[in-house]
Amino acid sequence: MPLPVAGDGLWQEGEARAFRRLTLAWMGTMMFLFSTMLLLGYFMRLFQANAFRTMRPEWFYAVLTLHGLGMVATWFVGGMAATGYLLTRYSRPSIWISRLALAGTLVGAGLLAAATLFGLFGTGWYFLYPLPFYSSGVWPPWATGCFFGALALLFSVWTIWVLDLLRAIASRFPLRQALGWHVLSGRPSLGVPSFVLVATVSLIAGAAGLAAGMVLLGLWAVEWLRSGYSNDALLMKNLTFFFGHIITNITMYLGVGVVYELLPGYAGRPWKLSKALAWAWNTVLLLVVLAYAHHLYMDFAQPRVLQDTGQIVSYFLSVPAAVVSIFGGLALVYAAPMRWTLASWLFFLGLMGWAIGGVGAVIDSTVALNSRFHNTLWVPAHFHTYYLMGVVLMLLGFAHHLAVDLTGEPERPAMRHAILALLAIGGYGFLLAFYWAGAHSVPRRFAAYPRELSQGVAAARVAVVFIALIVIAVALYLWETARRCWRAFSA
Amino acid sequence: MTPQVQAFWIFVAMACLVAGFFLWVARSTRQAHEVNQDAARRLRRNFFYSLTGLLVIVLALTLRHMPYPVPTERPERIIFVVGKQFAFGISSRPIADDADWEAATYSAPVQIPTGAMVEFRVSSFDVNHGFAVYSPSGELLGQVQAMPGYVNRLRMRFRRPGIYHVFCLEFCGMDHYRMRGLFFVVPRTNTQSHTRSLLAGTGE
Repeated sequence: MPLPVAGDGLWQEGEARAFRRLTLAWMGTMMFLFSTMLLLGYFMRLFQANAFRTMRPEWFYAVLTLHGLGMVATWFVGGMAATGYLLTRYSRPSIWISRLALAGTLVGAGLLAAATLFGLFGTGWYFLYPLPFYSSGVWPPWATGCFFGALALLFSVWTIWVLDLLRAIASRFPLRQALGWHVLSGRPSLGVPSFVLVATVSLIAGAAGLAAGMVLLGLWAVEWLRSGYSNDALLMKNLTFFFGHIITNITMYLGVGVVYELLPGYAGRPWKLSKALAWAWNTVLLLVVLAYAHHLYMDFAQPRVLQDTGQIVSYFLSVPAAVVSIFGGLALVYAAPMRWTLASWLFFLGLMGWAIGGVGAVIDSTVALNSRFHNTLWVPAHFHTYYLMGVVLMLLGFAHHLAVDLTGEPERPAMRHAILALLAIGGYGFLLAFYWAGAHSVPRRFAAYPRELSQGVAAARVAVVFIALIVIAVALYLWETARRCWRAFSA
Repeated sequence: MTPQVQAFWIFVAMACLVAGFFLWVARSTRQAHEVNQDAARRLRRNFFYSLTGLLVIVLALTLRHMPYPVPTERPERIIFVVGKQFAFGISSRPIADDADWEAATYSAPVQIPTGAMVEFRVSSFDVNHGFAVYSPSGELLGQVQAMPGYVNRLRMRFRRPGIYHVFCLEFCGMDHYRMRGLFFVVPRTNTQSHTRSLLAGTGE
């Protein structure tokens, strides 16, 4: 049944309709940004395959920056919008704050596009200190200002949005209940859905990540405005990865929360809050804020205790994910009277991508191996696995679920099979080229590969064939889903 | 087989195992039936203990092989490295300023005897760079970040003589992909003649 349910004591008819339209606007934005960023990613692999021999590398790096930040932003807001929509079943997230976040995201995305595509601002998505100040004459000061202005705007509206969703949860469930602490002490679940627990953990961690992002921007601003002052490079790196790691991690968790809430409807079985589930997600909340340390293994000046912590925490962060969420998802589906649709397949395959990407991530988080994998193509390999084949599939599944739910228009099995087959073959083929190249020492973020690393060109040439399949799959998906979303929006 | 390629095949095997398990579960929905919840809980508990045990074993095995300097070991050679957009200055003498860096960048490559424990003291004069050492056959052997304001110490030992390339592995700007350096590893004996043949090979 479409949410919010009007007349349930929480929502009036007009408000419910407005919230649905707003969620559809978010999904439209998500699909538009995703398609654009996908094509930019295709451009980058073509560039590395030497398809644009006369083009300057500045273009590669500007597009790299926009693609990276654009994808992180797209799936974060997609996950937030889906979480906000599903929360309307239990509470009242503010429609005005969601609108503010949408407006801020669109303006911020426009500013990022201007800084990169017009200003050629190219620092990579995590703008590692102090690179934005060392443009080598490529990007002008206005592009740096435009970039940081965009980040300040995005972080501000997202922080307000995160806090509002937490407020909405707290207005229905006391925080200790939303975190499942009552279940840990042996009491019954009191009707707290498992989705609310996942959302609460994600949002609290997200608030911490965004707070670090704001501090980071503040330190950048101080150095920019006060001549003679310079920040500490190691502190800035810690803040950058604390913020970046948490935002990307909780985006994954927001997608997982959607699966917790919607997959049971397709499986015909509940996914209840249990003691194991509460333990797992509270452990995640504790560990997710420390796992960022694995990004700094190759900074030998970092205190040794943080390096050891990075590996231990990264290893044990995989336990709750595998034992509770992935095992739980499989147990839910096993021998269930499953209603297989495009949405339920995308949820299921999204869990699989998360599991496979997790294997690649655990390998990379082993310090002894990281000294041979750090900043090679193994890194984009594993994060593209749990992004592209994980949370992206989950949130595309959500958009399709919503579109079918609101229009009631049945889907075509032939189209479903084509989309899933193309996504699976294209996606894993594209990823395998990344993993293979990473295992053969090919660095990431090289606009072109020197003779000694020519295997990078070979891998890029294989990858572009598989990306073409992903592009076709996404075009078919958009035909099926965006059309329905538009129909529901204009109804 | 390099450690990276071994890790690749372990990954592929585990990914196939995961995918196979998912497909098996998907197929099970063709014949829906009730699941014994107690058996599922037992299975999950066993999975938890197996996974945790495996991770503890791998941790115990790998935490002993950290790439960080051990205080009790003394390096035989110290090599100073400074990254600056877009080259590495690599020298046997300290690099204190731009003039030292230019001299280090444009002088003959440093030589390291085979088997010697060498300590690279790596820093940067501008942005973050990545000092990554590649074997003559193109295998990434080890790396450390070059950070402004910090000196990171990377210790390595080279068994094979030859030309070792250095690539920048931390994105540092427009010409990042062109930023490189090199050094020679030469046999402990007959050093001069070996160096001459390596120099002829690089065209320097």
